[in-house]
Amino acid sequence: MPARVLLVGAGAVGARAARQLVEADDVDEVVIVDPDAARRRAVVTSSGDKATDGGPSSADVAGAVDAVLLAGPNGTHVPEGRRHLALGRIVVSCADGIPDVSGLLDLGPEAEARGTRVVVGAGFSPGLTCVLARHAARRFEVVDEIHVARLGTGGPACARAHHKALSGTSLDWRDGGWQRRPAGSGRELCWFPDPVGGQDCYRAELPDALLLVPPFPRVSRVTARLAATRRDRITARLPMLRKPHPEGLVGAGRVEVRGRRQGAQDVVVLGVLDRPAVAAGAVAALALRWARAERLPVGAHGLAAVEDTVGFLAELARIGIKAAAFEGSAT
Amino acid sequence: MVLLRRALAALGIAGLIAAVLRLRGSGGTPPQEGGWRELTGPELD
Repeated sequence: MPARVLLVGAGAVGARAARQLVEADDVDEVVIVDPDAARRRAVVTSSGDKATDGGPSSADVAGAVDAVLLAGPNGTHVPEGRRHLALGRIVVSCADGIPDVSGLLDLGPEAEARGTRVVVGAGFSPGLTCVLARHAARRFEVVDEIHVARLGTGGPACARAHHKALSGTSLDWRDGGWQRRPAGSGRELCWFPDPVGGQDCYRAELPDALLLVPPFPRVSRVTARLAATRRDRITARLPMLRKPHPEGLVGAGRVEVRGRRQGAQDVVVLGVLDRPAVAAGAVAALALRWARAERLPVGAHGLAAVEDTVGFLAELARIGIKAAAFEGSAT
Repeated sequence: MVLLRRALAALGIAGLIAAVLRLRGSGGTPPQEGGWRELTGPELD
């Protein structure tokens, strides 16, 4: 049965998600909510007949809603998610802040009790990188380490989150425990798909480990790094010196999975190159449709819970978001 | 007073060296061979 979807947030990611949702056969209405009236109307107008104006707040939307896609800024997702979950709705969140991701994962028991799904971190990274981690893990009997790195930002809210992430505290998983270290440290040269190539990446306040440890209970190390320039690092603890761009340009994600198969250690490196807001919108819309189709597990999970990674990546490839594998020296 | 000035100078120099090391770092080694290829085939391998 076609769904009535509530889209909260009409920024760079929300606009792209709306475009994907209105083109889906299994969605018959997308109600768009955003406190910025001009931005909301622009997205409704550009998204065609299936898109309707839901006003400034999701609390004002009347009628039955099957699923909710949260594409607003970090800090807004937990109260929204809790409210919609209480109504038995599927919730998909693009949040990439640790408090939002942690708070949404805490809704797992309630989601299980209600027999519904809360999909957490359904964006570019975390999100697509979680699917790539699961896809790479298929090649191993035991996964020992997962290392995620990303470059680029989506809209202005994402740029602000990027800036903030470099001044906070990173959260890594090491030998069965959480390890906190200052963001901006731990420089590592990471090789992204062409034409991005090598970029210096640093520890940052990113939630990837929170989403990747539960699906890989035997993993001993999970880290996440963010590509940054020296200027980014110097100014990380200051307020943003200029207004962020309406949308970042090219972005890239990279996942390195180390594990064992047939007694031998090996490494698989997968990557993706796209505009982060475009990819995040597509991933979030697809995650919502898969959650509705019961192709994601009940409870609160990240996208590393996707079992059919081939199907998920193939659907993204059909709209031009293609993953790649690195072959050669992994460093 | 001399001791205090020397201590402050030492702290300043140490801070300066730490800042330079933090910003420059030791870098990494770029891949010596290989490259990226699109995932293809029925299993996207």
